[in-house]
Amino acid sequence: MTDLGTLMALVLTILVFSFLYKENPFYRFAEYLLVGISVGYYLVIICRNTIYPLVIEQLFFEGEYLVLVPVCLGLLMFARLNKRWAYLSRLPLSLMIGFGAGISIPAMLQARILRQMSASMQSLATINGVVILVGIISTIAYFYFSKRQEGVFGKVTRLGTYFLMVFFGATFGYTVMSRISLLIGRFEFILRDALGVIS
Amino acid sequence: MDLSRIDRRIIYLVIAVAVAVPLLIKVPLPVSVGPEVRKVFGEIDGLPARKFIMMSFDFEASSMAEIQPVAEALIRHAFEKDLRIVGLALFSEGTAIGYNIISALADEYGKSYGEDFIYLGFRPQYVSAILGMGERIDQVYPLDYLNNDWTDFSSFSDVNNYRDISLVVSIADGSLPTYWVEYAGSRYGQKIAAGITAVMATSYYPYTASGQLVGFVGGLKGAAEYESLLGYVGSGHRGMLAQSSGHLAIIALVVLANIAALRKKK
Repeated sequence: MTDLGTLMALVLTILVFSFLYKENPFYRFAEYLLVGISVGYYLVIICRNTIYPLVIEQLFFEGEYLVLVPVCLGLLMFARLNKRWAYLSRLPLSLMIGFGAGISIPAMLQARILRQMSASMQSLATINGVVILVGIISTIAYFYFSKRQEGVFGKVTRLGTYFLMVFFGATFGYTVMSRISLLIGRFEFILRDALGVIS
Repeated sequence: MDLSRIDRRIIYLVIAVAVAVPLLIKVPLPVSVGPEVRKVFGEIDGLPARKFIMMSFDFEASSMAEIQPVAEALIRHAFEKDLRIVGLALFSEGTAIGYNIISALADEYGKSYGEDFIYLGFRPQYVSAILGMGERIDQVYPLDYLNNDWTDFSSFSDVNNYRDISLVVSIADGSLPTYWVEYAGSRYGQKIAAGITAVMATSYYPYTASGQLVGFVGGLKGAAEYESLLGYVGSGHRGMLAQSSGHLAIIALVVLANIAALRKKK
């Protein structure tokens, strides 16, 4: 056992793992502790890393009074707490939605659709090119719901489901890999850091 | 024996044994390196010494077991190549974790704060932060994580925006690399690589195929691949036997469950 932090982490790990046996108050204690600490940690990080350098420092030490504009807009969000003044929160909300939509729509169109379409247009002289073309057409056809999926069209959509199943299978395989990795991390901690069984 | 009525706790026990026992046995497994990892390695390896690389720690503590080996392998490579690292976090939980990882490795490699690396800390609203850094990084981060005016460090005073950054690496357990691609990549032409959890890997193959991502290092397996390219044995390599054994146990359980289901049908 190296230090108090390791001991606490070991105890909390065991408390969380106890859920695998059955739901119990020790597990719930660990769960609530995690929620509380996460919120506290987030508040500290926000104050120390955002509010201090971007508001306090700028306003009181740098004399950047323009900072008051976003600060006031931010404070208006709290107007929702009072029914009489709730309408005022619509101003910062509308700005956020407008900014968000304006920024994200062209960016997403460019990155997720146009660039992906261009990347999928490959030479049909290669097997990869043919597989990609067939995969895209059949998968998109599966999500076309204005026509009954029967006859030739039905066969194409069925092919699309096979492509989808391959994707789901790969995703499931990666998910298993990911979860096993997390378990390895915990066991490594228990065996190496806490118990010193492995080096 | 009715396999369909097997107690779930026995399944947990089988998985636990399959994962824990191999950790006690030191048998190195060969690791084949995939093209996605090789591309990230090649990109960092090809950068001249003293260039700037930005590492964004966009993950939460819950995925640390998987992400830390990835982050360590990438930071080791950057330090070995004598690249200067600008660290930051767009997830609040990643802030202190990122700083701890980078500081520990800096000590190991004899790198100093302000000379070889800086850590800018956390900013909320990642879209605004990513876009803002395309114009001026010091406006998004006037002070670093330790509350220094980081532009006073002579080694980093030339860093104004993405034009001065050779590569951004988003070390993430979610969709943050997508935002880096959309806003820093598409808008500012910034090269982006990703260190991600395995569960996210399938989402990033299309971005690598289209060239929007340089490549990605996915999960513990990706870390092991990167470690083998660097020529050292880290947490990624050490976990490979347990990973394979865990997978075999899951496959065996899936087969058994299917046999049980077929028997029931009959």
